[in-house]
Amino acid sequence: MTAEGREERLVSTFATLADALTTDYDVLDLLQLLVDTCAEVLNISEAGILLADSHGTLEVAASTSESNRLVEVMQLSAEAGPCIESFQSGRAISVPDIQQSPSRWQVFVTTALGEGFQSAYALPMRLRDTTIGTLNLMRTQLGTMDDRDVVAAQAFADVATIGILQHRALEDSGRLNAQLQIALDSRIVIEQAKGVVASDLDVPVEEAFVRIRTYARSHQLALREVAARIVTREIRLG
Amino acid sequence: MHETEWDGSSGYPSQNTDLSVQFVSLLPVDGAAVSTLGKLLGSETISATSPLAARIDEMQFDLGEGPCWDAMRSFSPVIEPDLGDRWDRWPAFIDAIRSGGVTSIFAFPLHVGPLQIGAVDLFTQRRLELSADDTDRAARLAEKVSREVLRTALISATSADGLERPFSRRLVHQATGMVVSQLEVSAEDAELIIKGHAFAQGKSMMEIAQQVIDRNLNFRHLPVDGGDQ
Repeated sequence: MTAEGREERLVSTFATLADALTTDYDVLDLLQLLVDTCAEVLNISEAGILLADSHGTLEVAASTSESNRLVEVMQLSAEAGPCIESFQSGRAISVPDIQQSPSRWQVFVTTALGEGFQSAYALPMRLRDTTIGTLNLMRTQLGTMDDRDVVAAQAFADVATIGILQHRALEDSGRLNAQLQIALDSRIVIEQAKGVVASDLDVPVEEAFVRIRTYARSHQLALREVAARIVTREIRLG
Repeated sequence: MHETEWDGSSGYPSQNTDLSVQFVSLLPVDGAAVSTLGKLLGSETISATSPLAARIDEMQFDLGEGPCWDAMRSFSPVIEPDLGDRWDRWPAFIDAIRSGGVTSIFAFPLHVGPLQIGAVDLFTQRRLELSADDTDRAARLAEKVSREVLRTALISATSADGLERPFSRRLVHQATGMVVSQLEVSAEDAELIIKGHAFAQGKSMMEIAQQVIDRNLNFRHLPVDGGDQ
């Protein structure tokens, strides 16, 4: 992407996000839009957003690929890796060379390298003193991220944070845990729907997710809603 | 292992006594017994309306034959309005319960999807032809009881087996969806089936989920286990 094309894309993305935030929106759809945009405009391979559940365990809420391998890399990062480090410290963690990581990250390192990732970046999703999750960027090349990419990525993380905290805040007393739990609970039915479609159409689960998204987009429905109707067999993808 | 006369203390929560009573209050039968059978949960009467009802089931455990076993293995009701005609089918069983004065017996399978859990026995002392409506009603109640029994048994039997890990949970949810598609059951039933199968195999839900996702396990083709003692 050229510099101008990139700036244009950034501006239009933030316009879309601002628009989403002023109307009724689904949190998961918003998070999905964010990770997809990250992958598109930043110089990275994959992106994922992890949110803390009510026990403080970080869980993948949205990711650019729904391949279980990628999700596992991110979950391992949330157990012992840059992701948990960023979450606990509330700071951005840059890992320009995954191979040079501390030994306590061994499982993450082995799995990430096995998937072809060389460097990683984890940014906190913070509102004042509270960190609610992290934005994780994975890259297949070595080195630190471009400064401008870091600024843009943090802006995305901030938008995601606001998007989650603002969502249904008026009707729901705005309890932070409740908001996060809503987003994470939506994952359950999406995973189930992926399984239904994967089995119905005999395709891999990541392909199943793509089909579900395509359907949701073309029918202008929230992912979560389409997923729920797939699981109850009201919708059958052909 | 089984007492000849049921004393009502099977180790199951006491509210499960209601399980068999439901059948008697809904249908024109004299007694009912709900039992688990076979490998999955072991053979045990978990609810019976009378000592005779319990004894009818226990005889079947000991002899390895009878309407309960046939209903469970065939996944369909066994309807016998006149036991006197069926010496050929279960000679030892009929001989054993002769003193009870039972004429008609109806057994309905307890299963969730392909998982064989046990059976419910209904009996009358006078001869009874069970109407189509009553058969239907009993089958539906048996279906409901199946889930209840399996759920109760699994609560105490299974640990969280690694499901505190988000990645494991994710795989279990995906596998649940695949079982919904395989068996055309609800997500709730699908998860129960995975859990029950994990328990039967002595594996974690995560391991079973992985087999389903890898297409190495399809519950539609799950070999139906005869449920031998």
